[in-house]
Amino acid sequence: MKSVATTPVSVTSSRASASLRNRPQRWAPYLFLSPYVLLFLIFGLYPIVKSLILSLYVTNGPKDALFVGLANYAFLLHDHDFGTAVWNTIVYAFWSVFLQLPLSMGLALLLNTKWVRGREFFRLAFFSPNLLGQVFVGVLFTILYQPQFGLFNRFISWVSGGLIPVDTKWLQDPALVMPAIIITSLWMYVGFNMVYFLAALQAVDQDLYEAALVDGANSVQQFFAVTLPSIKPVATFVLVTATLGSLQLFELPYILLGNGSGPKNAGLTIVMYLYNNGFQTGDLGYASAIGWTLAFGMLIISLIQVRLTGATKANA
Amino acid sequence: MPRRSLSTLISSFPFGPAALAMLVLTILSGLVLAFNPPPKKSATLTYWTFAKPHYDSYVKILPEFEREHPGVKVDLQLVTNTGLPQRLQAAFQADLDVPDLCEIEISSAGTFFRGPLEHVGFADLTDRIHKDGLLDKMVAARFAPYTKKGHIFGLPHDVHPVMLTYNRELFEKEGIDPNSIQTWDDFIRVGKKITIPHKRYMAEMVSTGTDEYEICLFQRGGAFFDANGNLTMDNDIAVKTMEFYVPLVAEGSKNQVAGSLSSSFGSVIVQGLQDQYFACLFTPDWRTGGLQQDAGAMAGKLAVMPLPAVEPGGRRTSTWGGTMLGITRHCQNQDLAWELAKFLYLDEKALPDRFRTTNIIPPVKHSWQLPVFHEERPFWSNQRIGEQFIALADQVPGQYSSPYIDTAKGKSTEALISCVKYYEHHGDDGFDAFVRSELKARADEVRRQIARNPY
Repeated sequence: MKSVATTPVSVTSSRASASLRNRPQRWAPYLFLSPYVLLFLIFGLYPIVKSLILSLYVTNGPKDALFVGLANYAFLLHDHDFGTAVWNTIVYAFWSVFLQLPLSMGLALLLNTKWVRGREFFRLAFFSPNLLGQVFVGVLFTILYQPQFGLFNRFISWVSGGLIPVDTKWLQDPALVMPAIIITSLWMYVGFNMVYFLAALQAVDQDLYEAALVDGANSVQQFFAVTLPSIKPVATFVLVTATLGSLQLFELPYILLGNGSGPKNAGLTIVMYLYNNGFQTGDLGYASAIGWTLAFGMLIISLIQVRLTGATKANA
Repeated sequence: MPRRSLSTLISSFPFGPAALAMLVLTILSGLVLAFNPPPKKSATLTYWTFAKPHYDSYVKILPEFEREHPGVKVDLQLVTNTGLPQRLQAAFQADLDVPDLCEIEISSAGTFFRGPLEHVGFADLTDRIHKDGLLDKMVAARFAPYTKKGHIFGLPHDVHPVMLTYNRELFEKEGIDPNSIQTWDDFIRVGKKITIPHKRYMAEMVSTGTDEYEICLFQRGGAFFDANGNLTMDNDIAVKTMEFYVPLVAEGSKNQVAGSLSSSFGSVIVQGLQDQYFACLFTPDWRTGGLQQDAGAMAGKLAVMPLPAVEPGGRRTSTWGGTMLGITRHCQNQDLAWELAKFLYLDEKALPDRFRTTNIIPPVKHSWQLPVFHEERPFWSNQRIGEQFIALADQVPGQYSSPYIDTAKGKSTEALISCVKYYEHHGDDGFDAFVRSELKARADEVRRQIARNPY
């Protein structure tokens, strides 16, 4: 009490005003974060929670809903179309990883060599399909794949000396639909992933190559002992994002197959099946169950990939 | 001095310059919005259609309706066929941006009638239709797809009888008399002369979709669903249709007379016709309008004939496609909307121009006497195609809708593809049993989907 009594008025008032000034400063971060948090709560967290609840209902739009517990998930297990969608998606994801990524890396290695002329032009050329967007690419390849008149068919019929008929139905024959989708996505994404690999290759310490050369390593040994370990974090990132992207495939086959899933559901993907159920059949509950099953599957696959590639150890 | 005071203001502003910038931008954008409010809706009625030919014909005749109803303004909007059902569903669900009147394609219609009657987004037109005697004035069967539990939610736009378009020049060159094709057996006999696999086919019929299969199914009196909403895609008629259809499209079949390209519409099909890849096309009235528009080079070289009958003296047509017009519950002026619907769909002042623009026969029987439907058409080798379609209109089979119609069609396509594959490998051996089991298996999948959802 004494000290309070003896404190000069000017000092007290200066501390009080400093405290007043500091109070808003303490709240400042929260204030700046609040718009994002608010938007996330409304457009992120609420739909996530709502969809989880919806997945326990059979619905007819938002007006009619009947609680069915886990019946939607149980039905998924026996749903032939969902099985087809999962199989198609896995096939696409498999080829995306095991065809697309090696091609991307091969192109990156090629363009990283000094003897290739016009490297900048080729980088742009290989990357540019990605600038178009899946819908545009879908429309373009629908025309290219046309039987009888499409350039793609004309070309392969000419190359094969007529062995492959010019009226080959890439988008109508169930056996050819998935290859057609994969070829289209290769054209679109090989250049995109190449850019990641190229950036990673350019960041590899050149001293390591010199040391390997001194040790007598040939170019193949250099690739496996120096290049691959050095670009591993980027390769893991590309692997995970390419896989997750493949599992969410929707627009490309949807446009290629004329807003449908193709003959015998040959182009039906999990997200397309979700869309069909939610927005065409009107069963938002079943669509939510499909969405949550996909999300759970993606989480498991990502964890397995990160574990197998040892990315967490590398980061540690 | 002013510069110093400005920098002092910025630096002393609570939370610094970033916060000041955000505040200024917020105020500025708020002011811009305040002084530039979105234009108020000026139209009395909003009308969505998905078909460009419909849109083109309505644009011409709507001024007449607006003249007859002073102060009324109709906002006609063309929405893409693929986007319209989703946009309308979203509008119904959110109760936002709902049009007053909307045209729906027949295959999407069923999805709008799910759930309890009171939750259907369209107004019940049953009383209005009865009051105006439209069930007698129009082809009554065309109301069936838009009816749920006795309540009619849509006015039919069309009848869509199906005929065969044939390349008259090619027929003359090959010495084929179209009048000699009375039954499908005749068609196959002639088709074998025309067909050269991978080069030329008698007709366009797909083996990986249901368009032409559906036409054949309807011609035989079959359907995907019956009038009571029961799934019928695997009944005896469907089995017989499949057994008839598959040999026509299966590679290597002795009766293969049909092939297909990637699309049944636009430049692809026109090119197929011009190159004589196809001699015949299944052509409902709406498709003749499309061909006239897209295939100018074929003017005077094409003609139409009735579909071959299944048996001598049998039905010479079928049906493909359809459109309904509904008035939404959201519409504030239902009476005016009904007036507009009747003007566009029934008024004899509007129908002649609509026919000239689209070639679509209206379901309004008394209008069929109008001279426009009996004019010769130079594009169609001077045939009176209106007259020919009208002659078949009464034979058009009924078709019924369901929320699961797309699922049923998809599963029928799966069955068709499997049956074609089987036939290509085994021919007639065990084909009947395979068709039956395949159709039943696919139909059971649809039944499981239906049983799961009480709506």
